[in-house]
Amino acid sequence: MAIVETKALRKVYGEGNAEVRALDDVDLSVEPGEFVAVMGPSGCGKSTLLNMIGGLDRPTSGGVSIDGTDLTALTDDKLTELRRRRIGFVFQFFNLIPVLDAVENAALPLTLDGDPKARDKARTWLEKVGLGDRLKNRPDQLSGGQQQRVTIARALSTEPALVLADEPTGNLDSKSATEVAGLLRQVATDWGRSVLMVTHDPRIAAYAGRLVLMKDSRIVDDVKLDGHPDAAREAMERAGLL
Amino acid sequence: MSVQFTLAWRYLKGRGLRTLLTTLAVVFGVTLIFGLNGILPPLINAFTRNLLSTAGKIDVSVTSSFSEPFSNTVLDEVARVSGVAVATPEVQRIAPLPQPSGATAANAVAQLNVIGVDPGTAGRVRDFPIVAGRALSTGDGNVTVLASDLAAKLGVGVGGTIDLPSSVGSTRFTVVGLLSTATLPGAEQIFVPLASAQTLFALGQRVNAVEASFLPGVDRAAVESAIRAAVGPGYQIGGLSTNSSLLASLQVSTFAFNMFGIFALATGGFIILNSFRTVVAERRRDVGMLRAIGATRGTIVGMFLVESVFQGILGTAIGIVAGWAMAAGGLAALSPIYESIVHVKVGGPEFSAGTWAMAIVLGVGVTILAAIVPARAAGRVTPMDAMRPQLGEVYERRIGTRAWIGVGLVVVSVFCLATRQPGLVGLGAVVFLIAIALVAPAVVTPLSDAFGSVIELVFSEEGGIARSNLQRNPGRSAITVTAVMLGLASIVAMLAVVTSIFAGFIGYIDKSLSADYMFIPQSIILAQGNVAAGPRLAEEVKHAPGIGAVGTLRIAHGKVAGAEVQIIGIDPKAYPLVAHFEWNTPSTDQALTQLSSGRWVIANGLYASQNNLMLGQAITIDTPNGPRVYHVAGVGNDYLNAKLATIYTSQDNLARDFNVTSDVLIMANRTPGSDPVLLRKKLDAIVTQYPAFRLYAAAEWRDSQLAIFNQTYVVFYVLIAALALPSLLALVNTLAISVLSRTREIGMLRAVGSTRRQVRRMIMAESLLLSVIGIVFGIVSGLWLGYALVLAMSSIGWPMPYFVPWDGIIATIVIGLGFGVLAALVPARNAARMNVVDALHFE
Ligand SMILES: Nc1ncnc2c1ncn2[C@@H]1O[C@H](COP(=O)(O)OP(=O)(O)O)[C@@H](O)[C@H]1O
Ligand SMILES: [Mg+2]
Repeated sequence: MAIVETKALRKVYGEGNAEVRALDDVDLSVEPGEFVAVMGPSGCGKSTLLNMIGGLDRPTSGGVSIDGTDLTALTDDKLTELRRRRIGFVFQFFNLIPVLDAVENAALPLTLDGDPKARDKARTWLEKVGLGDRLKNRPDQLSGGQQQRVTIARALSTEPALVLADEPTGNLDSKSATEVAGLLRQVATDWGRSVLMVTHDPRIAAYAGRLVLMKDSRIVDDVKLDGHPDAAREAMERAGLL
Repeated sequence: MSVQFTLAWRYLKGRGLRTLLTTLAVVFGVTLIFGLNGILPPLINAFTRNLLSTAGKIDVSVTSSFSEPFSNTVLDEVARVSGVAVATPEVQRIAPLPQPSGATAANAVAQLNVIGVDPGTAGRVRDFPIVAGRALSTGDGNVTVLASDLAAKLGVGVGGTIDLPSSVGSTRFTVVGLLSTATLPGAEQIFVPLASAQTLFALGQRVNAVEASFLPGVDRAAVESAIRAAVGPGYQIGGLSTNSSLLASLQVSTFAFNMFGIFALATGGFIILNSFRTVVAERRRDVGMLRAIGATRGTIVGMFLVESVFQGILGTAIGIVAGWAMAAGGLAALSPIYESIVHVKVGGPEFSAGTWAMAIVLGVGVTILAAIVPARAAGRVTPMDAMRPQLGEVYERRIGTRAWIGVGLVVVSVFCLATRQPGLVGLGAVVFLIAIALVAPAVVTPLSDAFGSVIELVFSEEGGIARSNLQRNPGRSAITVTAVMLGLASIVAMLAVVTSIFAGFIGYIDKSLSADYMFIPQSIILAQGNVAAGPRLAEEVKHAPGIGAVGTLRIAHGKVAGAEVQIIGIDPKAYPLVAHFEWNTPSTDQALTQLSSGRWVIANGLYASQNNLMLGQAITIDTPNGPRVYHVAGVGNDYLNAKLATIYTSQDNLARDFNVTSDVLIMANRTPGSDPVLLRKKLDAIVTQYPAFRLYAAAEWRDSQLAIFNQTYVVFYVLIAALALPSLLALVNTLAISVLSRTREIGMLRAVGSTRRQVRRMIMAESLLLSVIGIVFGIVSGLWLGYALVLAMSSIGWPMPYFVPWDGIIATIVIGLGFGVLAALVPARNAARMNVVDALHFE
């Protein structure tokens, strides 16, 4: 069964003259352990798609289900609980709580869930993402790449079915960016989570196993990638997006 | 729950400066409320203890409206009224004490208030806390009990004797007991058996007061009116304090203190509210992220709740300690002043349950509210919205309606001001403050354009950037302006009141007393009317070589339409030579001439406004000789009687209708060219024969009053400073926040080539611009509030002209600008030092 399943997903912002159709009849499904990259021009609705799937906002029409649960039917508290337990988030900015250290940040969803082993689990994940020696540091004492790795550890600490990453490398230098992309691939291949990642960078997208291309609020192409660094760029050229 | 605690704790620790500032806001608010309200009760107690200590359980006192003795049958009439527990007859009279020769008038006891009590029943109405000897008992002859401090002054102990002049020469009383009560100079009391007092003053079976206490829990007003009905007209029913001008001024200071308290509450509340609102706003993105990764709304609200409870409790605790220290220090400073005015020892601070409750409700309650309300709003925003860039536009669109409501309120408040009714003017002042807060976001832009050009004279290029910074987020700028305005308004208002009180009184002294010498009764409470000298004293003064004009005041009591009024008798020809009326238009000195021509009166401003008197209007005064019709010749005030409802008439009228011919105050002028030293010697010799009076050179007296005022001034300035501090803190706070929240922008300015110096000057210019706007609003609304307070004080019995506190305004401008600079210093330095890359990445 698919981890993510959207049906005729539509999102409209504003009314009348100011109306913006950010998503228009989007059907997408993601299988367990699949690493999917989403690309497309700025403003085409990538973030909106991720936010709908992540239950951060409600669609205007259409359906989203995660691991068989229909999100549109959930109350705010149930939806919050689902985000906490089943989904991990990685954003471009504002990922970490500045006053908490690495362990506390990584443990946050577990702590919110009242898990007594939160810190231990967080520590394990921080070690797995290569930050075993930075456990006590606060975000301002970490580099951008390290911060994103803490975010990934946090996203994985609850053993979620799905990890959503919105331009996780947008704010990083190219070395850190490829490290983070490699780590996300590991999340899918080694640890079996589904990963849905938005990016602008074809070389980062090439780490994924599948590429979804969007334009004007719709999905225009959906291709398998073979791991070759130029695969994503070539797919985009074929779709006329470059 | 534990997540909320961890998060809250980490934010408190991790955002140390902000935590400090918000907690300090709570501390200052609580300090002020708690401290001010701790100072007040001991002051009031000191007065009431001494004025009324011997009054004990007296609930009501029945005396003749004309201060005449009356028949004993009144006692039974009072006792029979249901609700009265016990009634007891008394004789209260002044007896002069022979002065030991050579004694200086300064500390000697010149007269005693002899109170004849019924030993059988008096103990149930008055307290007689005996510290030595025994109480009076039935069958006692010429014995007395008195306060031990008075006994010490008189140099007697138990077994000693006091000689009192009487109708039959002199009577010797033996001291049998000493009381622990404190004595107020001018009201030295000794207690003797009723029969002895009646003999001493040749009253026969008559008494001049009936004191009664009520059964517990009765409707006091109902019992009082039942007593009034029982004894009929011609009697005055009331507590002992009803006439006391001291209590009147105490009421005024209570009122002023309470205004301080209310301002403190409003300012404190606003600072706390504003601080927490910005704390929540700053954390908007963190909140969004927390919601995204699965924190419920409850968790978010819980986190802010924990923080605010912690800061509220900590701030309140520190505030209470600081408030206690402020009260103790304040009282230590006030005590000598009080002692010099009324010879009363003031106790330590006292904190009532209400004060505790008020401090805690403000400190914890307002703090929690200030955090929870915005936190709930923040929790309701979807995580996505929370993480997107600020929605400044939405706010601006709403300004329109708000501003129009504000404009409407300004119109309403101006209308209130125009009525000149104290209540409405006060309401108008508060409405005006609210109106400005609403209008502020809309007028910040045009005002910053107006003042901007001035600022740009100094800060040429940076001034322009600063101005556009203000205009880009008018909402944020308006909050700072409002904070400055609120703080300064209360300061200016208090300065206006203080200036009006002092300038008003010193003006009164200068204008209304042109005499060179004054013979003043020891008791400064003229209204009690219990001290008087026959016309002989004035005659003797008049004949002293070197004395020019002599004018005297006489006093009587009457009733107009059932209400008590004091009537001062003056000599219309002599009075203007030694004193002066402060006329209310259209009255002039012409009114004085009119007094000589029949039953005319001059009303003081207080009485005239209480009764809506018009020139020429007829008023019927109940006199001991029956009702008499008088006409109003004018409205004016003199210094000594300004605080009491008073009417003035000629001494001829006073003699004819009120049978009063004795003087209570004598004012005299020295002829030019006479020898002041010789004259003083002569006058000193005269006054020693009249122990109830003291002689002052008018200049000395004025100086002594000025000295008291100056000391009191200092106290007020200390209080004003205490009030100013939290407001200025608010200014520093809001400014620091506004810089903090623009970190990224500043980084950009630096990146595109602004020098550190330019960034520093830009922030400085912005701070000054905000301060100037806040100062202008603050001064306007402060003057208005002050005017409302002055009017309000008039309405509770202290008429005074309104003075614009020019010095205070200049001080306010200087202090306001000074703090504007101060507030900018740290943020400006930090902003200039900011690492460009860090600033651009600031979250
Ligand atoms: N909260 C919102 N209100 C109005 N319009 C929005 C909102 N969020 C996104 N949009 C609009 O929806 C469209 C898609 O936005 P987004 O999904 O953020 O694009 P991107 O593909 O760059 O991530 C854009 O035109 C954007 O302006
Ligand atoms: Mg996006």
